[in-house]
Amino acid sequence: MSNIDENAQGKEMGLTTCPSCNKLNEQKQTHCTRCDSPLMVRDTTSLQKSWALLITAAILLIPANIYPITMLTDRGRIRHDTIFTGITHLVQSDMFPIAIILFTASILVPLLKIVGLTIYLTAISFRLPISKKMLMVGFHIIEWIGRWSMLDLFVISITVALVNMGQLLDAKPAPAATAFALVILLTQMAAKVLDTRLLWDRLESKDDKNRSTKSR
Amino acid sequence: MTKIEAPKVVKKKLFSPIWLLPLVALALGAWLGVKSIKEAGIEVRIHFPSATGIDVGKTLVRYQGLTVGKVVDISIDDELKGVNVDLKMDYRADPFLNKGTKFWLVAPKASITGVEGLDTLFSGNYIAIQPGNGESQSFFEAEENAPAILPNEDGLVIELTSETLGSLDVGSQLFYRQIPVGQVISYKLKGASEISLTAFIKKQYAHLVKKDSQFWNVSGLKIDASLSGIKIKTESLSTILAGGLSFSSSENSEIAEKGQQYKIYDNEELALGGIEFTLTADKAESASIGTAIVFRGIKIGRITDSNLTDSGVEFTAKLNTEHAELLSASSQFWLEGADLSLSGVKHAERLLTGSVINFSLGSGEPASQYPLLTEQPDKLATSKLTLTLTSESNQGIAEGAEVRYKQIAIGKVNSVKLNSSLSGIEYQIEIWPEFTQLVTQDSYFVPESALSIDASLEGVSVKTRDFATLTQGAISLIQSSSKSQVEKGATLSLFASRQTAEEHFKNQNLIKLTLSSPDGADLSSGAPVYYQKMQIGEVENVNWQTGEQSFTVNLSIQEQFSGLLKSNTVFWRNGALSVNAALTGIEIDVAPLQGALKGSITLGLLDEAEHGDQEHLYASKSLALAQAKPISLSFPADVKLSAKAPIRYHGHQVGEVESVKLDKTLENVTAKAYLYGNYAKHFTQTDASYFIVDAQISLSGITAPETLVTGPYIGVIPGKSEITSVNFVAKDTPAKQRKAGELYFTLEDNNLGSIKSGTPIFFRGMKIGQVDNYNLSATGNSVLMHAHIDSQFSHLVNQSSQFWDLSGVKVDIGLFSGAKIETGTLETILAGGIGVVTQSKTSNSNQLAADSQFTLQKQLDPEWLNWAPEQKAP
Repeated sequence: MSNIDENAQGKEMGLTTCPSCNKLNEQKQTHCTRCDSPLMVRDTTSLQKSWALLITAAILLIPANIYPITMLTDRGRIRHDTIFTGITHLVQSDMFPIAIILFTASILVPLLKIVGLTIYLTAISFRLPISKKMLMVGFHIIEWIGRWSMLDLFVISITVALVNMGQLLDAKPAPAATAFALVILLTQMAAKVLDTRLLWDRLESKDDKNRSTKSR
Repeated sequence: MTKIEAPKVVKKKLFSPIWLLPLVALALGAWLGVKSIKEAGIEVRIHFPSATGIDVGKTLVRYQGLTVGKVVDISIDDELKGVNVDLKMDYRADPFLNKGTKFWLVAPKASITGVEGLDTLFSGNYIAIQPGNGESQSFFEAEENAPAILPNEDGLVIELTSETLGSLDVGSQLFYRQIPVGQVISYKLKGASEISLTAFIKKQYAHLVKKDSQFWNVSGLKIDASLSGIKIKTESLSTILAGGLSFSSSENSEIAEKGQQYKIYDNEELALGGIEFTLTADKAESASIGTAIVFRGIKIGRITDSNLTDSGVEFTAKLNTEHAELLSASSQFWLEGADLSLSGVKHAERLLTGSVINFSLGSGEPASQYPLLTEQPDKLATSKLTLTLTSESNQGIAEGAEVRYKQIAIGKVNSVKLNSSLSGIEYQIEIWPEFTQLVTQDSYFVPESALSIDASLEGVSVKTRDFATLTQGAISLIQSSSKSQVEKGATLSLFASRQTAEEHFKNQNLIKLTLSSPDGADLSSGAPVYYQKMQIGEVENVNWQTGEQSFTVNLSIQEQFSGLLKSNTVFWRNGALSVNAALTGIEIDVAPLQGALKGSITLGLLDEAEHGDQEHLYASKSLALAQAKPISLSFPADVKLSAKAPIRYHGHQVGEVESVKLDKTLENVTAKAYLYGNYAKHFTQTDASYFIVDAQISLSGITAPETLVTGPYIGVIPGKSEITSVNFVAKDTPAKQRKAGELYFTLEDNNLGSIKSGTPIFFRGMKIGQVDNYNLSATGNSVLMHAHIDSQFSHLVNQSSQFWDLSGVKVDIGLFSGAKIETGTLETILAGGIGVVTQSKTSNSNQLAADSQFTLQKQLDPEWLNWAPEQKAP
């Protein structure tokens, strides 16, 4: 197997992997011989889907940040907090670590994720000369860190469940919570739905050069 | 593998359906954005007087509990007169933000009627909004208080007017038959004199308010205190503190309209209608608003208003509807208060409720104005017998005291006042018609004493009467024997007691006498006057007469004894105990006890022929019977004079000493003495001479030896003056009374020798006169002896007479003549004596002039013994 080109791709060999069980199937197969999952050499629509989801997420990021995410009733006084005011409130309360965590999880991560995905997708769609490796690293980071964005929602959901004392003290999710959840969900989906193999297809030639030159 | 598969036509989709997602998101975002812009809220600025209790971001705007906005900013207004509060209102509130919209601050408020805005304790104050109509606007002036009615509440709003707010407040409840049906929602001043309250009646009770409903205040407690007990009435606990209103309606009237006006009456009675009329009076007296009008003790109306008029006071009165028919043209109204006296309290409840206006029925159509009388009109006045009683002082009779006859009330005292001359008391009394015939001419009245204690020597009797008598007094009618009735308005007397009355009538028949006495004679008013141990009168009083320096004793003698008052009547005072001790026995006379205590006077009669002094009170019976005349004698202090010492004239008693007193200077004693009546005129001349006669024991004998037993007495020698006196200065030695025919002369010697007063003058050994007294001559070089010759011998002495001293023993021892002892009588040896011889016969030429002076020769010239003229008594 030493003669196998390290850059050879399955599709060139008439092979394709099952997306579910990773069995190599022949390309003519429509379904995996093992798990009977539909087989596709390349999901050409995934880029579109990813873009669509990303754009949706980006759109939803706006209401998620503008609208209040929580409604806190404290002794009859109702306070609406957007993500940002919540953080500033924490800062004012001298809770910097929490504020930093919250800022990272709620503002920085979703934003970076969207930006990262945008770059990623742009790189794929418009074949931008970006290192394939870097993109992949970034992609994994985005994928991994994205789930932590749910922290804010998690906190909200727990608070809502625990703090319920009517007029005295009550917390309720506000419209932005939905938007924010959608943003997280959509970005996750956008990352998930993307067929990363496309990256490799599209960027192969240039990157190889880059890589080879670099490796050399 | 030969099998050729049908070519698969893959239609390349331009767009994946996934692209719907961003579209949806975009649409959603857009919608959210639009919505957000749409719902961004409306900025409204409200001007509050103060920002107290308003917090930016915290204070919400609520409408019916729903948050419709919140405070976003507070700023001070340009004129520094308040704050501008910027609100961000919910966009849905936009239609309500009109000209008529009201904003006000709701803060927690706890009052007796309830706790409001309790939620604000937790949620903080909030701004309430009441939507209104009008043009849309965004600047509002905040309301000071919550507007009266909240629009969601359906019910009836009525206007109530009252003069005072009392304890009514916003929230005070309205009751209908004690069910709370609504409450006062606001009040405000309406003009300067009225308060307008807005009340809200809940919808379900709105029909209870009729057009003619009457509202009254049920605030606080209604305490009905009367003698029958105390009734405390209140609508509900909250009305005690927060006030309340109640109303009543008649069933058939129309239901009230919204905003109808009613007057609030002070209480139910006032509210419940009736007919109005006015009462006029000169002054308000005790009538005031609220004074009840009663008829036969039942309250039938009250005074609702009082006004000053030019001529007095005008009251508006109201009779309850159900009693309205009692009012008629000739009805009368008068004020009645509580009758508070110690005999009892009539209408005690009026002490609490104040006076009431009483009312009497009449006839005719009711008038609109009546006079308010101060007293109950007296319908029986014509048939009553009114009398005036006079008394010297008030006998404890108060107005309203009963007039009684045999302890039965027959009338009453209407008034008690001083008479016009302020010298006595006048009582106006009335005798009720059925008893008028009891009062006859000469009837009189006496006060009933509630408690009379009659303490006398017979014992003590205590009499009590009823309580009314004790407190108010009462007077009793004492009938006279007269049958003729008194006329109306007649004047009768009120005596202090029956006794005084009787005395008064007796006094009318008494004979008055006035006696004078040098002292008070131990008499007091009421001291009896006796005749033969029977009381025939009494002493009325004893007065001091400054001018005459004596007391006057006024006596009254009963008429039936007038026969005793004659020209030979005399009065003397009785001692409590008189002891008449004489050698013949001892007579002790004890006066009756009454006389002993008060002193007493006895009337006595002298012999028919004698004339007594009816104006003098003698100190004793004997003096009286002797018609003694009092004199006063002044003696040197060393005189040994005692009471009862007789005054004698030549041994005959003409008077006696009553008392002897040392005067203040301690140099003199004053003797009060009496001269017996028939002699008095002889010894009261100014030059009458009084002297002390005391026993003098000497060798020549004892003069006035009886005084050794009886004590010294006073001798008296009548004077010749025409002027009489009662005050005399007595002398130590008796002044020689010159008798007609006696011959007076003076003998002079250089030495008195043994000559003294009483030294006899001998003529041929026979006493023909004596030395009366002696003194030093003015020049001091001789002694003058005043002597006299008794009248029957006066012719024996003339200018040729010679006097010599016979005193003692003269021993003449001569060398040649031998011893010669010459003596007179033994008496002359002891007492001395003067001898006299006369040379020639007494004739007109050598008659001795009065008070001639002779020299007393030392011894007898023997030649004189030869003188022996024959002399005859003329």
